[in-house]
Amino acid sequence: MTNSIAEIEDADCLFVIGSNTTEAHPVLALRMKKAMRRGAKLIVADPRRTWLAQHADIHLQLKPGTDIPLVNAMAHVILDEGLQAQDYINNLTENYDAFAQAVAEWPPERAAEVCGVNADDIRDAARAYATTDRSGIYYTLGITEHVCGVDNVRTLSNLALATGHLGREAVGVNPLRGQNNVQGCNDMGNNPLYLPGYQLVGEDENRARFEQAWGTPLSAVPGLRLDQMMDRMHTGELRAFYVMGEDPLVSEPNLAHVEEGFEKVDFVVCQDIFLNETSRRYADVVLPATCFAEKDGTFTNSERRVQRVRKAVDAPGNARPDLEIIIEVAKRLGAEWAPAEPQVIWDEVADLMPKFYGIRYDRIEETGLQWPCPDRDHPGSKFLHEGAPIRGKGLFYGVDHVPPWEEPDEEYPFLLTTGRTLYHYNAATQTARSAGLVDKQGSNFIEIAPADARDLGVLDGAAVQVESRRGKVDALAVVTDRLSPGVMWMPMHFAAARANVLTGDGRDSEVGTPEYKVTAVRLATHGH
Amino acid sequence: MSHDKITFNLDGEALEVVAGTTLLDACRSKGAQVPTLCHEDRLEPFGGCRMCLVELDGAPRPVPACKTNVASGMVVRSGSDSLERVRGTIAEMFMAEHRPATGGRPNAMDKVAKRFNLGAPPIQFPERAQYHDRNRFIGFDTDACILCNRCVRYCDEVMQVTALEHSGQGPNAIVQPTDGLSFLDTSCELCGGCISSCPTGALYEKQSQGVEESSCDTTRTVCTFCGVGCVIDLNTKDGKVVKVTAEQGVGPNDGHLCTKGRFAWQFIHHDDRLSEPLVRGEDGELHAATWEEAYARVAEGLTKVKQEHGADSIGFLASSRCTNEDVYVLQKLARSVIGTNNVHSCAAT
Repeated sequence: MTNSIAEIEDADCLFVIGSNTTEAHPVLALRMKKAMRRGAKLIVADPRRTWLAQHADIHLQLKPGTDIPLVNAMAHVILDEGLQAQDYINNLTENYDAFAQAVAEWPPERAAEVCGVNADDIRDAARAYATTDRSGIYYTLGITEHVCGVDNVRTLSNLALATGHLGREAVGVNPLRGQNNVQGCNDMGNNPLYLPGYQLVGEDENRARFEQAWGTPLSAVPGLRLDQMMDRMHTGELRAFYVMGEDPLVSEPNLAHVEEGFEKVDFVVCQDIFLNETSRRYADVVLPATCFAEKDGTFTNSERRVQRVRKAVDAPGNARPDLEIIIEVAKRLGAEWAPAEPQVIWDEVADLMPKFYGIRYDRIEETGLQWPCPDRDHPGSKFLHEGAPIRGKGLFYGVDHVPPWEEPDEEYPFLLTTGRTLYHYNAATQTARSAGLVDKQGSNFIEIAPADARDLGVLDGAAVQVESRRGKVDALAVVTDRLSPGVMWMPMHFAAARANVLTGDGRDSEVGTPEYKVTAVRLATHGH
Repeated sequence: MSHDKITFNLDGEALEVVAGTTLLDACRSKGAQVPTLCHEDRLEPFGGCRMCLVELDGAPRPVPACKTNVASGMVVRSGSDSLERVRGTIAEMFMAEHRPATGGRPNAMDKVAKRFNLGAPPIQFPERAQYHDRNRFIGFDTDACILCNRCVRYCDEVMQVTALEHSGQGPNAIVQPTDGLSFLDTSCELCGGCISSCPTGALYEKQSQGVEESSCDTTRTVCTFCGVGCVIDLNTKDGKVVKVTAEQGVGPNDGHLCTKGRFAWQFIHHDDRLSEPLVRGEDGELHAATWEEAYARVAEGLTKVKQEHGADSIGFLASSRCTNEDVYVLQKLARSVIGTNNVHSCAAT
């Protein structure tokens, strides 16, 4: 997030796109609700009539996979009606012409047809966003989990640059992180291209810094992304896989393909707190780890705040902290590292990452600090891009519509999109063990628009089978006007009915993020 | 909003505050002990309980401090004897409809009784019908409820899901989920914010019913159920987590939690937790092993693949659920020990 969570309640216009915030980030959504109660305008772009959509001033109920036409059309209106921040554009951005050309192609009427929304709603949304001083954009996986995820984000960045809506309190572009330490995991260099602190591994100077600190030469060859690793399992190029606290056999797209890959791998290590699909079937070794309540350390939240995690209880049996396990594995492979003390490790991290240098355990005892925090007196950064974009000039992109990898056709006539619910979390290894949550939501379901249910002869609560070109899963039908006809929605949580059996091979061409949000499916009622 | 300063007189002393400040906040900033029951800082001023009455020159009767803004030139008394008598009578009336709660949560009525030196109330309301609900999270001890409506207002104002209602009148008045249904069958999202806002402990966490909150140790840490980073207190007793609470004014969450953060902690002590290393045997099954055996097998397996196929034939998947320190050493293992940049996380998705 470019902004802080607490700032949200001071926003006067919230443009929420591809985020079911009240379910996926319920407590952050309370700040949005507070802003709404104060009178802030709410614009929601989402294929479902989510809680926020229901309470929005404008709900743009777009067809999944048409974000670029929608946002380009909003930008079109802004330029057409002269609502842009011309001084900001002139002084603090570059590549404006490419952007202006691209959005010129998308008048609201054209986008309205592609997106399935009303052209005047696009105009109203554009005006509200552009003409409100404190306007913020909030998005999450509904934007990124597409073949054009990166381009989707660029259109949002374009919108902020064109209106100068960046670099102030409650004004910016805010991706809401889905997991407790997604931000930190990336910050720490768990990325094939970046060493810790977003330092490119291909640059000699960066590698030299880490080679000196770690006392060993480092490979300059960029690594494989997760999606590429899955592919290379098939080709025999990836022969061993070390999986820490993940369940790729639930969470990755096109699971039949993932399973075939795992069949071919020589050696799999899983380090986790529960057995899961992946470890049960494919692990050669399973290492029992500790959960958050049993260890010390830090997480970095969505607003870049590094916060202390503290041990409250002992781990069960012989389970050990992840940190200790990895250090012991390294030792068995010949490396002697510092002892498994979280504070010692953090100091090593902070010393190697300039943007984190000022964050130390003694400073975050009471309240976490937000990076960038380059020195020990720095108060941390509440919001980014103050005065000017960090890179100097904000870079516009000319972006055009990219259709999804797979679209509905005669054989598979419905568009399935997937997501999270309030009551479960990811592969549900933790939440499915909460009886109270299972009471509320116990098994897989698929949301179907009333008109489709009528045409298919599906009753609310009926058991159905959902089928794509990759596989099929069972679900109970929930007939709801939250969806437009032709679009269906299914949660991704249930190991007994894995939505990712259905999803396909579409992925973002630049970063490999899978297109979980668009799959062509058909429906069979049970017994057919 | 205007930030103009205005001056007024509180208990004989001139005081300067920002326009728009309530009398309650002004009193508190000066350390005046104005009691409250229905007031909650995260909710809009309500003025229901009248415990915070203060005297105002020129006003025919005392006014609720929580719902009255300071005006320029006001002369206010926050603690006269006659005020304390009025407040004491009101407190006694609340005691008449309150019976101690059994949920284990702190009860503000204890403090009220002490302050006004109240014994058993001269009259006691008849017992209310007990509330039975099949939901496993939110318990409601109806006889401890004083109808302050904090829970109802929390649900309306903060959550905005309106799943609680104040129903009936006089001695028949109650708070209940919509139409008296189960919490599971209303628009309730089971966040338990009603519990956190309840001053008497009438609403409580069923999963830790009867465990005195004051007898628990607390450890401040961070919730793991999304990226917001809510600061939570793990309440533990006898080495087990028994409850999750959050303190107002702390962290990005300001004391708020969602249903997962507040209630879904059973996994921590679940029987299914892995407690021993497992190694796959020749029979194709996983068998318990010692750490030494497990580490040896990991080292052997990784070394063999590296020798035969090279470092880049090994991949690492880091967890976005683990700590920074955990995932830092994982990528360090991949890069500096194995010698590959094949390390990624689900942060890509």
